[in-house]
Amino acid sequence: MWNEAIHSLVFYFLAGLSILTAIAVVGSQRILRAALALAGVLICNAGFYVLLDFEFLAGVQVLVYVGGIVILVVFAIMLTSSVELVENHPSSHRKWIGALAASFFFLVTSSAFLSSDFPVDRNALRSIADVKLLGRKLLDYGAEGYVLPFEIISLLLLSVMIGGIIVARKAPQSEKKK
Amino acid sequence: MMEFLSGISPGIEHWLILSALLFSIGIYGVLVRKNAVGVLLSAELMLNAGILNFVIFNYFITPLIVDGELMALFLIAVAAAEAVVGMAIFVAIYKHKKTVDVTRLDTLKG
Repeated sequence: MWNEAIHSLVFYFLAGLSILTAIAVVGSQRILRAALALAGVLICNAGFYVLLDFEFLAGVQVLVYVGGIVILVVFAIMLTSSVELVENHPSSHRKWIGALAASFFFLVTSSAFLSSDFPVDRNALRSIADVKLLGRKLLDYGAEGYVLPFEIISLLLLSVMIGGIIVARKAPQSEKKK
Repeated sequence: MMEFLSGISPGIEHWLILSALLFSIGIYGVLVRKNAVGVLLSAELMLNAGILNFVIFNYFITPLIVDGELMALFLIAVAAAEAVVGMAIFVAIYKHKKTVDVTRLDTLKG
């Protein structure tokens, strides 16, 4: 019972925190503050993964998302000098369309979630050594394995790295000649 | 107090509604933000809600296998790739146009 109570207490605390920081991401005037709020949302999500017993995934989330992507976005903000660019108020027309689309999406999905009957399996206990299972699955050639997506992801990351350098490098050759 | 708290322990619906809420906040941001980097931030929010959904279904429906967690790992890698490409494109646009305001980037508008 103690466990359950602490579990639900942590869940509701993290849920409230993540929703508040998510609203800060979309609503704050200064874009740098929005990026920091995004880091808050991502850390809350890592907390959710710990709550659901996915400790490895929580570690990856903090390392890659908070340590990598947020830093990258902060670099993008600095390089495009959006720091000084204070977001002027969006027109109420845009705001209404955004709020309408978001609330419709939320209503439709949550009603679908509430009306459907999920085959929840709470009795089976998760194995502790699931990182081992993860590694085996990632390099498994069989029908249940994920070796092909794993290789494709590595190619994708390589091509993204090269493409990023090419797109964002200094002036192209043709402009230098002028 | 303890009885109340253990009585409202979150089931699958609570988790799914939480992730739907995060996703719809992301939709609002994508539609309302003017700065392109802000749009990218909101898209990251939506991606994160999707990853959370994979993890929730893995935990509640198939607790004995790790496929949902693997999908979440792949999605994190794809999100990193997306952020890199987005940043490169915004830097290139900024060099040409001196702005990243998405309402003023309307060259392709007929």
